[in-house]
Amino acid sequence: MSLQVRERRLGWGLLAPALIWTAAFFVLPFLGMVALSFAHMEGREVVRGFDPGNYTRIFTDPVMLGALWNSLEITAVVTVISVVLAYPLAAIIAFRVPARWQRLALLMAVLPFWTSYVVRSYAWLLVLGQNGVLNQALLGLGLLVEPLEIASTRAATVIGFVHFFVMLLTLTIYANLIQLSPNYARAAQDLGASRWQTFVHVILPLTLPGVVTGAFLTFVLCIGDYITPQILGGNTELTLPQLIMLQLGRSGNFPLASALSVVLMAVVTLAYFASSRWLRLDRV
Amino acid sequence: MTRTLSALALILTATPGLAQELNALVWCDHTDPALIEPFEQKFGVKVNLKEYEGTAAGLAILDQSQPGDWDVLVIDAVDVGRAVEAGHLAELPADQLPTADFFPELVMAENNTVDGKTYAVTEKFGYNTISYDKTKVDPADMEDMATLTSGKYDGRIGIYDYYLPVLGLVALGQGINTADITADNLGSLRDPLMALRAASKQVSDVVSAQTALATGEVDIVVGGGEWLTAVLAVETPNLDWTIPKQGGLRWAQSIGVVAGSTQPDLALEFVKYIVSPEGQARLATSSCYWGMPANAKAGDALTAEQKTVLRWDQQPEFLARAQLYPIPDAALDTAMQDLWTEMLAQ
Amino acid sequence: MRLLSRTYLTLAYVFIFLPVAVLVAFSFQDGRLPVPPFKGVTLDWYAKVLGNDDLVAALLNSLLVAIVSSLIALILGFLAAHALARVRLPGSALMRGVFIAPMTVSYLIIALGLLNLFTQAGIRPSLWTAGIGHVVINLPLCFAITYAAMGDHQRSAERAARDLGASEWRVLTLISAPMLAAPLAAAFFLSVTFSWDEFIIAFLLTRFDVTLPVEIWSMLKSGLSPATNAVGSLVFLVSVSLVILLELTVFRKRS
Repeated sequence: MSLQVRERRLGWGLLAPALIWTAAFFVLPFLGMVALSFAHMEGREVVRGFDPGNYTRIFTDPVMLGALWNSLEITAVVTVISVVLAYPLAAIIAFRVPARWQRLALLMAVLPFWTSYVVRSYAWLLVLGQNGVLNQALLGLGLLVEPLEIASTRAATVIGFVHFFVMLLTLTIYANLIQLSPNYARAAQDLGASRWQTFVHVILPLTLPGVVTGAFLTFVLCIGDYITPQILGGNTELTLPQLIMLQLGRSGNFPLASALSVVLMAVVTLAYFASSRWLRLDRV
Repeated sequence: MTRTLSALALILTATPGLAQELNALVWCDHTDPALIEPFEQKFGVKVNLKEYEGTAAGLAILDQSQPGDWDVLVIDAVDVGRAVEAGHLAELPADQLPTADFFPELVMAENNTVDGKTYAVTEKFGYNTISYDKTKVDPADMEDMATLTSGKYDGRIGIYDYYLPVLGLVALGQGINTADITADNLGSLRDPLMALRAASKQVSDVVSAQTALATGEVDIVVGGGEWLTAVLAVETPNLDWTIPKQGGLRWAQSIGVVAGSTQPDLALEFVKYIVSPEGQARLATSSCYWGMPANAKAGDALTAEQKTVLRWDQQPEFLARAQLYPIPDAALDTAMQDLWTEMLAQ
Repeated sequence: MRLLSRTYLTLAYVFIFLPVAVLVAFSFQDGRLPVPPFKGVTLDWYAKVLGNDDLVAALLNSLLVAIVSSLIALILGFLAAHALARVRLPGSALMRGVFIAPMTVSYLIIALGLLNLFTQAGIRPSLWTAGIGHVVINLPLCFAITYAAMGDHQRSAERAARDLGASEWRVLTLISAPMLAAPLAAAFFLSVTFSWDEFIIAFLLTRFDVTLPVEIWSMLKSGLSPATNAVGSLVFLVSVSLVILLELTVFRKRS
């Protein structure tokens, strides 16, 4: 037996467990879900077949289209705000905080990451409520006359999301920034570039892959999340995951839930291709 | 690491498994240890509880399970027929149930009995009406559902997120009895429902509704009742509820033994425990939400204060004015849920 | 540090810590509702939470699922990364893509797919099924981190060992794994964190024995209470202690 054949056999042997796992518990369920999305309900019976009715409904029913649109809007807004807020934070920690305090500063910036996710949304509810801490404080300081109405609005959902993703993005952007050699910036400035020019033309392009990768993860996690809009949104509007959970939890309509999930998956795939030029998922 | 793991595995396998286990598919009020533990101790068994939301979801869980997976089911009293039709409930020996002690309206034989056989027994009931903060709104206004959409309380109303009672209330507001809601007149409920939605601030589940009322986020909850305010009664005595002149809805939950249970005798014992005066008093005041016990004898096991919060003495009047939940067939149910989803998306 | 940076940093920390501070503060609320006004300090809610068997059981379940599923994900990911980094195989770029793919899929979709699969196969939901789901979400992470960390340095050490007649198993366990200890540990602890905090997969794929996030969710659904704040604060305290401990031990060496 040649060395190459032996090596290959060994390689496949090492790969097999992960491949089998991924095939059985990721690829197969996904194919099953696609198949189920073409079934329909008769009473409480799932009738299998090839019926595109669920998809026709998703793309014609204003409720379903509305949920898809809400999800896209919220996700886009959250992703942009989170990147805009996290970049300066990561940059300050990387360039302004003295080296020996950097790890502590970074750790502090992501510490609330470790409160339970469910509890974190609930805590924001306590902060943002009509009689919540924020309103009480602002009213007490005389900065407000009327309490702000944030809880049970889209703003609350967005704030809850931004809080989580600012932490995530600070981490990924910081990791990118400290890998930059200071020589780039120095070279640019030696050539007469201003600080701003250096940032726009040198630092930003070099960190773009990190930013896009973080933004893509934000997009994926945000658009698929059920907890935050459910707890903070007050059911004032529906997002796609909420609609999916309504189909599962109230109607027991698995085919429609599957079709909605396939649509969600398609949206994420589109986002993937839109950003794939800069994505470095294997370097997260 | 290995040692930690095996220690963990030991703890996890050691606690249950010793005793016989009873699997119950229930509503959240049954998960109160104060309710379950006395039964577990008396019979030396472990009761596994799984909550579900809404009859369709509960039946879907049963559809997907294997025979013997479940022993006990708690279900909306008006939906017992659906569960029987799907073959999920076993017959109960009517002579072993204390229905003679029940409030007569709560025996609900027309719901719990199919073709002369008893499949379930009512355990708890209450009302979906209007809860409000009496220091913030004029209680007289709450006697008429029309004031809710008059503009006076815009942005101060919360809607309880369950389609059956709230659609029922909206129907009553339009002079349609809950039993008369059909696919034909469902359309006429759309405008009043959307008007109510437009006047309200949020649509919320039990907890958010409680929070919103207690913190002044909203002053009125449509679909609320004693189940919403009783838990808060001690801390926030300014919360109240009423049945407006158009009427209110009476909710009732039933309990039965699941067909195919591997331990029907123990399951029956559990049902009998729940409808006994002792079990009834604990269920009435369980931690998730309070509600009136179906068994009137439970009154002896409740304190005077608990009875005041439950409005024990006013029951005859309330019972007379409240109607049951709508009982939609599968098609109407889907139509009602779609209307509800549309309202949520507004 | 200039004033602007300092101001921004302060504001950012206020935003980041605001919900946690409120959460912890109202866990001491001497009253039934965790909202202002603050009525005084009590430890009753902590006593109540620690005396709640369901919560303690859920906490142990979460630990078990997190540790076991992360170990499996780590082993599978490490072996696959080793194979793809060391052996030239046809379609290896495609396979890298397949392993990373679950990272780009919403947890809800993974949960729903597995729920359908298990229902059809007649497998009852349990901690095991939730654990399987957690391996699916953590495998890409473990694979990516270990794959990225495999450099030429290890390659030469591995080759030397092989040339000296070590079996592949010995190379893996005695050379590769120890040399990659830091990234392996990072991947493991990151996986534990994700599994520990994951809600939707655990929610849809468990039945009676549930994990902590699911238990907390049902607490939330059954009433607003400072007890929920107390649970959240405890979870935070434990996790943060662990993070700081790790920071001081495992990860210090790396930097």
